[in-house]
Amino acid sequence: MSPFFLGLGLILAGGMVAARSGTLFRLLVAAGCLVGFVPAFSVLAGGAPRRASAPVHVPGGPWVFGIDALSAWFLLIVFGVGAATALYGVTYLGRGHDLARASRSHLLLSFLLISLALVVTAAAAVPFLMAWELMAIWAYLLILFESEQPDVRQAGLLYLVVTHTATLALFALFALWGARAHDLTFDALAAAGRSLPGQGAAVLTLALFAFGLKAGIVPLHFWLPEAHAAAPSHVSALFSGVMIKTGIYGLLRVLLLLGGAPAWWGWTVLSLGVVSGVLGVLWALTQHDLKRLLAYHSVENIGIILLGIGAGALGMTYHHPAVAVLGFAGATLHTLNHALFKSLLFLSAGAVVHATGTRDIERLGGLAKRMPLTWAAFLAGSIAIVGLPPLNGFVSEWVTFQALLAGGTLGGPIRLQALAVAALALVGALALACFAKVCGIVFLGQPRMPEAWSAQEAERGMLLPFLLLVLACAFIGLVPAVAVGASVRIGAAVGDVSIAGAGALPSQLITAAQAAGRVSAGLVLLVALVALARSRRRSRRRPRQPTWRCGYAHGESRMQYTASSFAAPLIAAYQPIAGVQVERSAATFRSHPRDLVLNGGVRPLWHGLKWTAERLRPIQQGRLALYVLYMVATMVLLLLLSCAGRAA
Amino acid sequence: MNWMPLASLAFVLLLAPLLPGVATRTRALLTGRRGAPVHQLYSDLAKLWRKGVVYSTTTTWIFRAAPVAVTVTAVLAACLLPLDGRQAVVSFSGDLIAFASLLALGRFTLVLAGLDTGSSFEGMGASREVTFASFAEPALFLCFIALVRATGSLSLTGMLGGPLSDAWAAAAPSLLMVAAALFAVLLAENSRVPVDDPATHLELTMIHEVIVLDHSGPDLALLLYGSAVKLALFGALMVGVLLPRAHLPAAVSLAALGAGLLAVAALVGVVESVMARLRLDRVPQFLVAASALAFFAVVLLLW
Repeated sequence: MSPFFLGLGLILAGGMVAARSGTLFRLLVAAGCLVGFVPAFSVLAGGAPRRASAPVHVPGGPWVFGIDALSAWFLLIVFGVGAATALYGVTYLGRGHDLARASRSHLLLSFLLISLALVVTAAAAVPFLMAWELMAIWAYLLILFESEQPDVRQAGLLYLVVTHTATLALFALFALWGARAHDLTFDALAAAGRSLPGQGAAVLTLALFAFGLKAGIVPLHFWLPEAHAAAPSHVSALFSGVMIKTGIYGLLRVLLLLGGAPAWWGWTVLSLGVVSGVLGVLWALTQHDLKRLLAYHSVENIGIILLGIGAGALGMTYHHPAVAVLGFAGATLHTLNHALFKSLLFLSAGAVVHATGTRDIERLGGLAKRMPLTWAAFLAGSIAIVGLPPLNGFVSEWVTFQALLAGGTLGGPIRLQALAVAALALVGALALACFAKVCGIVFLGQPRMPEAWSAQEAERGMLLPFLLLVLACAFIGLVPAVAVGASVRIGAAVGDVSIAGAGALPSQLITAAQAAGRVSAGLVLLVALVALARSRRRSRRRPRQPTWRCGYAHGESRMQYTASSFAAPLIAAYQPIAGVQVERSAATFRSHPRDLVLNGGVRPLWHGLKWTAERLRPIQQGRLALYVLYMVATMVLLLLLSCAGRAA
Repeated sequence: MNWMPLASLAFVLLLAPLLPGVATRTRALLTGRRGAPVHQLYSDLAKLWRKGVVYSTTTTWIFRAAPVAVTVTAVLAACLLPLDGRQAVVSFSGDLIAFASLLALGRFTLVLAGLDTGSSFEGMGASREVTFASFAEPALFLCFIALVRATGSLSLTGMLGGPLSDAWAAAAPSLLMVAAALFAVLLAENSRVPVDDPATHLELTMIHEVIVLDHSGPDLALLLYGSAVKLALFGALMVGVLLPRAHLPAAVSLAALGAGLLAVAALVGVVESVMARLRLDRVPQFLVAASALAFFAVVLLLW
């Protein structure tokens, strides 16, 4: 464990010196993340799990930290995305921002990284909850970077309320579970897991609620787009790439400790996956705010991850270890992949916001010519997130598809999970539509508003993280056998089976991954070859003309399709659940997205609570005598109660 | 080494441009016209390949990359289909997902190329293309689920190869429904009537024709060829479901594929001459109906 803590120390030191030197901050955080990779990789390569334990004088047993395969996998995500966002953040907040405020943000970022690393390595409830709560607080402070704007403050407050609700549920979870164990270390909890009533029904429900709030499962996602849109872009990347994944980590960890779940839980997770996937991408399609749109895609991808977890849990329940391994492998691999491509997308979207000063898609256009490298990065992220070869998103969706389809070939109730395949296909097709919209409207065509005409390419400090993330996406896409092999091992660990015991399917999967990698490589090679052949032919004569505009000499950029018009047919087809208000007049067409859960459920509920609280106000008179009276009355009441209890 | 998969791949790639010609000719004959010769597309491709190209000043590299990507993805997807009835050029567990994703990649680049021109014509076509594809994709995957369930295999070679003839004995109604749903997906994916009308240039109801409006010369040739291969792919998928050929001798099996593809193309032509194009907001209903058909097939098989 000592390289791990050394890495955390380096990250902390980096945060401390951020006010002095941005370069030193970058170097130290990058070094800390690299050092932190060492134990993670060694455990993933088959090394022994690491453990460190500190005896402390608080209830709940010793504070244990450990790195097993699952923790190591999430550490890769934390340190990988963490390094990229820290490198990027210095440049992103470098110009046009108050230096003191920027270095405070860097310090908070390093705190957040450390807490994230501790969340996924804590092996006892008390340090887990502490790291969890710290993570929530640093994240809240990071959202408030532009706290002079009222909507940022509001998003921060919403996030704070939601995250504390989640923490409260986690307290209840560990209290219920710990009551049956001799202390609160994960080992003791695992030993007590079998004796929980109803196969741990209460624990599993609480876990789904608390971790679901963090992960942003529909209908618990309502805080997520607000917070992601309000935070600086590299912080959004860290939130979306890493922080919401701690919810996924929590679900997998609880499953691992409990050693399985009843059937209803698996089906619930699978259905929530379908709902989150479809609604997430549909709501993303309605957005015009670039970052909010990406945030809704996080909801969608959490849905895809849940499909994998659901398939895995059902495989465990119905004793089909191959499905369990494939399902969990798909979920863990998609977690890593989503972290990579979503942070790439947020960072390149941040470069767009940085260059143009607007997040409104409808005002942009034609940035491919002005920011070619940012465009390449965003395009790579888009191809990955839509799940297309030759990049990494394809690989994990491919594994998830197979987990669901493999369930479909079996007998018993598990065969019904094959129906989720159709939902996953729908999600993929809608994601394609959405990213066609974003790429096309933001980067292609002609600039729609003055902001986009004068945009400049991102600075070098922002381009390096792009390169690293694109390389990681391409590596997993072109050589998928490595990542698939590792995720299969983790899937086997979570599913509590040996890979050999899961039959032929997992090893077939790795062989198939090699073949899929060859197809992806063939794709790249063939496209390159044909494009080369074409460009040689082309070089003779290439007249350029303006796009044909029905005979009019001067086409205006306002004549172009907009994001609203591009998405209109799809939104019309899904109108009742899309939550869009459409505004039409002779000369304009606009659509206004509304979050159905936030505006239709949470806000009214909140106002109802406030109204009830105001009815209670008369008992607060501010007079000391009255409060003493309340106290005495309470004491008398308690005494009477205890006497009555003893008499009974 | 078994050369049959490669030989049948070459056969299908050469035959592909004939299919749109057959469909158009059938339509012409049924509506009392003589129509263009069936090999018209070959001549068109040869002519376009020799021509020069005009690029719009608005466009970027993606406009030039899309034709290449469309053709390459279609050809690679063809490598995954067991065209000779037994074995694909490349087959692995889960290749059916790769098949759909490769075609989706082609569509993605094509749609981006359309938006790259900055013309509202192309924007319109791009928007409709992704809209209808999002309805066609679940239908296609429901067909795949049914085939996976019927044959117990996760790869196209396993699905359309040997076990399918046994599945016909057990689940003929489901497989017929799958074939019908696949035909609807074929019509949508290849922009044929009743979803789109390939014969109407420059009309606001078009989808595919309007995305490629600004492409010219060899670029257009690649796009036309790519979409012809795509038609052949879905045709081969249908023929594969309706006509399991694993037990036939190789040459007969290939001939049967050729005949089957021509029959599918003729069927497309028949549909085009007896049906009108649907109103745009009705197209989703058509594809949802196809999904429902495939869904019933799945339900019957899951029972």
